[in-house]
Amino acid sequence: MSEYIVEMRHITKRFPGIVANDDVSISIRKGEVYALLGENGAGKSTLMSMLFGMYEPDSGEILINGKPVVFHSSNDATAQSIGMVHQHFKLVDTYTVAENIVLGIEPLKKKFGFLPWVDMKKANNEIAELSRKFGLEVNPTDLISDLQVSVRQRVEILKMLYRKAEILIFDEPTAVLTPQEIDFLLDIIDGLRKDGKTIILITHKIMEIKRIADRCAILRRGKLIDVRNVADTSVQEMADLMVGHTVNFNQQKNKANFREEILTVDHLTVKNENNFEVVKDVSFKVHGGEIFAVTGVSGNGQTEIADAITGMLKIASGTVKLEGKDITEASVRERALSGISYIPEDRHGVGMVLDFTLRDNLSLREYFKEPFSRNGILNPDQFQKYSEELIERYDIRSGQGPATIVRSMSGGNQQKAIIGREIEEKSKLIIFVQPTRGLDIGAIENVHKQILQERDNGAAILLISLELDEIMALSDTIGIIYRGELLKITPAGELTSHEVGRYMMGVKDA
Amino acid sequence: MKKFLAQRLDGRYSAFWASVLAIILTLITASLLLLVMGKDPVVAFQSFLQGCGFLPKANYGGGSGMLSDLFDFLNYLAPLLLASLAFIAGFKTGLFNIGISGQMLFSGFLATVFIGYNKSMSAAIAKPLVILIGLASGCLLGALIGFLKYRFNIHEVVSTIMINYIISYLTGFFINNNYVDMMTRTSRICTAAARLTWTNVKIGGVNCKVPLGIVIAVLIAFVVQFLFDKTSFGFELKAVGLNSRCAKYFGVNVGKSVVLSMAISGALAGLAGVCYYLGYTNTIIPKTLAGMGYDSISVALLGSASPIGAILASVIVSIFQQGANYMSSRVGVAKEIASLITGIMLLYAACGNYMRIVAHSYLQKELDKTSSREGKER
Repeated sequence: MSEYIVEMRHITKRFPGIVANDDVSISIRKGEVYALLGENGAGKSTLMSMLFGMYEPDSGEILINGKPVVFHSSNDATAQSIGMVHQHFKLVDTYTVAENIVLGIEPLKKKFGFLPWVDMKKANNEIAELSRKFGLEVNPTDLISDLQVSVRQRVEILKMLYRKAEILIFDEPTAVLTPQEIDFLLDIIDGLRKDGKTIILITHKIMEIKRIADRCAILRRGKLIDVRNVADTSVQEMADLMVGHTVNFNQQKNKANFREEILTVDHLTVKNENNFEVVKDVSFKVHGGEIFAVTGVSGNGQTEIADAITGMLKIASGTVKLEGKDITEASVRERALSGISYIPEDRHGVGMVLDFTLRDNLSLREYFKEPFSRNGILNPDQFQKYSEELIERYDIRSGQGPATIVRSMSGGNQQKAIIGREIEEKSKLIIFVQPTRGLDIGAIENVHKQILQERDNGAAILLISLELDEIMALSDTIGIIYRGELLKITPAGELTSHEVGRYMMGVKDA
Repeated sequence: MKKFLAQRLDGRYSAFWASVLAIILTLITASLLLLVMGKDPVVAFQSFLQGCGFLPKANYGGGSGMLSDLFDFLNYLAPLLLASLAFIAGFKTGLFNIGISGQMLFSGFLATVFIGYNKSMSAAIAKPLVILIGLASGCLLGALIGFLKYRFNIHEVVSTIMINYIISYLTGFFINNNYVDMMTRTSRICTAAARLTWTNVKIGGVNCKVPLGIVIAVLIAFVVQFLFDKTSFGFELKAVGLNSRCAKYFGVNVGKSVVLSMAISGALAGLAGVCYYLGYTNTIIPKTLAGMGYDSISVALLGSASPIGAILASVIVSIFQQGANYMSSRVGVAKEIASLITGIMLLYAACGNYMRIVAHSYLQKELDKTSSREGKER
């Protein structure tokens, strides 16, 4: 019997234009919490996708309990007691908790002695017992669509445990949780370790690693940099190793200098397609030189506020004014031209055309203006020149420069491209929604610096984020949203992050 | 050999080479089919080419020759190319216009009835009017389909298939009631003035049918290419096709783009319709949709949705469709084999992306091998 439950030896994996993993070897002991830390595009998720059978390595081998294995699909990995909670949950919304968990390996019974039948009663009981055993409270008969994100995550964990997984992979599990929920999750992970499970944690949040992990592998640009005992390594050290240079944790933030009022939102109400009010009677103002942050638990209407201001969503009632000019009825293009830049939450689905080149994507705000096009005829030279400038200025890295198809770029560089494109417009109002989601510390530092810089240049910034640390670090004014209503608007610094957390859960008098 | 092929499939002209490979595979498959039937594939392919005037036949009837076959071929090619351009115009915007047959019939019928039967019109007036009616009627029909999609969220595949039926039966009803030729049971033929093909033109001592459509079709192929490659309007349409949410985000009016794109697609289909019904056939069989409308999809995919590629692809498909008659009489295989071959070609063309991916990963592996070998040598 080998000392290690998982060994990955000399793993190399290539994608077009990049080497995602370059001769990476890691060994994980049974019963430890092993963290994978690395910048975006460092290859953490790719490495774990290979352990979970979603990709096959180009070279190198994987050993489970000392025996070499080859995974052709995630079913093979599941058979070897490996489970994974993906960053984006894989659940059927219209099924119950229990149905989701047993899906694919349903307990059967023979009705009338011969008819195979899914034994839901047995499944419900088993899952109730399992959830008690691991302290993962769920009601087996609830529908997924009725559940909060944190509960859905518990369902995902139970799904692995129900399949008797011994090796549990968590891909950025805390990205969507509130501080209280993160505490709870880390306790659960601790409990799983005590039960003898092996846990692999993919994350870019060093504080969590510090709290829960035993050992930590640091990846940078596809290469394994170091494996450290967490207890003997400081947070600063880990950050420096990951980024490759010294990280400045405390952004230098100048004193806010509020200028004239730029964005005025007055009694804004937005309805979704089911005529449900997702934003209710929201009013606020953002001044030049101010970062106004809207925070709340995911799905409480914050992205809809951004979409309503930029014209992506229809406004049911209320007004939006930019520098006193009413833009409530203006088109998306008119609003953009009157001075709104928008970094959307969904950078793949909204922020760029993945099958366009980087050159075209960087020119999305300009292509219709001279000299990018004259009388409707495009000028490719200008596209090239402009994109080269932006690539240089915003340090956007890609396989083939302006001609790279954006789909093949890493998430961090895609985000750099979007932010660069939007900032370059020199708009009076810049809306950032989840600007650092899925980015690593180095990239986050960079984005934060850019946000602060734009503020100091006099732009009005509307920052919508689920990352409380980000809100606390950057904002001048905080608005807390719950079920579409702005519960509280307060100057930053008057609330602690735990007080903000309580407002996010809907407690009015925190 | 393997490496040579992979490099072709992975390089700059990978789409072109994928199509070439699809054609070669089709020829191999078709040869096997013919062999199974006990026919000589070489003779069969030769007679396809002979039927289209690319190779001389053994003997010709009075007044005809290789050139007349070649012009017949162009007569068929023109509407097919236009129809596939119609498909491409929609496809680039993410719309699957499967109703090209219906749009062709609609415009062909209107032009036949309003201009084709008007005996007092001179050619100089009639021909431009036919083209105009073709464009306008197809454009309106396409715009309607786009509008249904934009306003009521009716998927274009559903609406076009339904509209195909409506047009087929509606025009069939009017033809049978008012315009039928009692002998042939098809619509009466159009005047020579209105027809977009000049018949009995003496070239090199033989009678040829000279189509006006082929000039228009090739011209339009370049126009469509220019539209999508070089104009901001085409840029927006492509963005709508690839990611309509992003297009909306950067300020494109998505609804308007969908309607306009369908209108363009319909207009080109309408033009294909008048070239087909007032050029190639010169008559309309009631309640029958032209198979060409569906072949155009094969052509577009074989040409990897590029207008210039469609020119080459439509030549290939036309050789099989137009040469089938002669091949059938000479080799003794039912001429429907042409449609079978087109179908096989569509299958291989649809695998094009897969072949390109396989080639790419093969080359990557080769690269690894050589680089690790070099590493060892060092």
